[in-house]
Amino acid sequence: MKAYIQGTGCVSPQDSSVFPATIREYEGSRMLVADPDYRQWIDVKQIRRMGRVIKMGVAASHISLQDAGVAMPDAIIMGTAYGCLADTGVFLNKLVTQKEDMLTPTAFIQSTHNTVGGQIALLLGCHAYNNTFVHGAFSVEHALLDSLMFLGEDPSRKVLTGAVDEITDYSHTILSRFGLYKHTKNTGLLQSRTTGTIAGEGSAFFVLGAEKDAQSKAELTAVEMLYKPASAEEVRTHLEAFLKRHGDVDLLITGRNGDVKDDAVYGTIEDALFPQHPVAAFKHLCGEYPTASAFAIWLGTLALQNREMPAAAMFKGASPANLKKILIWNHQHTTHHSFILLTAC
Amino acid sequence: MEDLKEQIIRQLNLQEVKPEDIGNDQPLFKEGLGLDSIDALELIVLLQQYHNVRIANPEDGPNIFYSIRTMAEYITAQQNKTA
Repeated sequence: MKAYIQGTGCVSPQDSSVFPATIREYEGSRMLVADPDYRQWIDVKQIRRMGRVIKMGVAASHISLQDAGVAMPDAIIMGTAYGCLADTGVFLNKLVTQKEDMLTPTAFIQSTHNTVGGQIALLLGCHAYNNTFVHGAFSVEHALLDSLMFLGEDPSRKVLTGAVDEITDYSHTILSRFGLYKHTKNTGLLQSRTTGTIAGEGSAFFVLGAEKDAQSKAELTAVEMLYKPASAEEVRTHLEAFLKRHGDVDLLITGRNGDVKDDAVYGTIEDALFPQHPVAAFKHLCGEYPTASAFAIWLGTLALQNREMPAAAMFKGASPANLKKILIWNHQHTTHHSFILLTAC
Repeated sequence: MEDLKEQIIRQLNLQEVKPEDIGNDQPLFKEGLGLDSIDALELIVLLQQYHNVRIANPEDGPNIFYSIRTMAEYITAQQNKTA
């Protein structure tokens, strides 16, 4: 089952108005979204109740719909690992400090994981199928699989699919206690060769259709997941079988994040299966977060449209001329591996 | 009434609204400031939190929350009752 990406939208730590010509540089242990002026897409009266994560999701979804020329999707299917963390924190804090009394509804109604999908639907007046997958680092991939099945039922449909996750002060403090992050510059992250990475956040949305048309920017050829492989050898076996089914690729995009413990498996398998292939990366641009593979799909689609991967994203070698086929291989904590194949239209 | 306007702006996160933008007799809901039913709940909590005033009869709500002036008059009346 495959689909065509007909519109893309992204809100990320990179300023999309100048990316990829200019890369935003960060120094620290987290990369926050370069907030666009959300009033472009959201009425001031409505924006006041929205947390950052909702604004990111609404903006990215609107950009992708505009890009696709689709006013009303037939489904909204998205993924998020953390959901609306900031408002969950606000609500829980009030619960404690106000001793469960005089609790206001705003933070509560914004604290559920499917609030973003709901807000997108409310603003569009879209009463269609609306589902949010909360499957940790596989949330994007499950949203994509559901989208593909939804398109399989009726090829005339258009699906708005995507993902969003945010960092909050609380979540960053708690996750930092696990030793996940380090203080560094994002521009040197992938060469740092120490433990820890930079936390990230963002939202990317896509309009998918089953049929190729003038709007089609790339083909979403395959989506696969591998959970908790016993060894690098199991990842290699899975990838070999994947390549046998789908053929060789021009470029590999890996989820390298600058943490030696996470990046080792990429190096091992690249040497074995992709020794001559150019390799790109993306987490020095968006940071590490569970739905970061949505940013990689956005980047891959941009590269396929231009037939070239931006130099700022290249990790090894140069982008091939006339780029046609990209494999995105991302993993989080070596447990959640995903393989997403994109092909030029 | 100026304090009340600031409290409302803060409680409802009325971005880009300043106290001087809200008229004392301007309707708070619908065509006025454009507040809605969720804001009404926030205003009920505001009265309790900032002024220790509860609304005994929910049917009085539309009259109490009609404008800044009606809210201020209700707060003053309730506080005078308990003084």
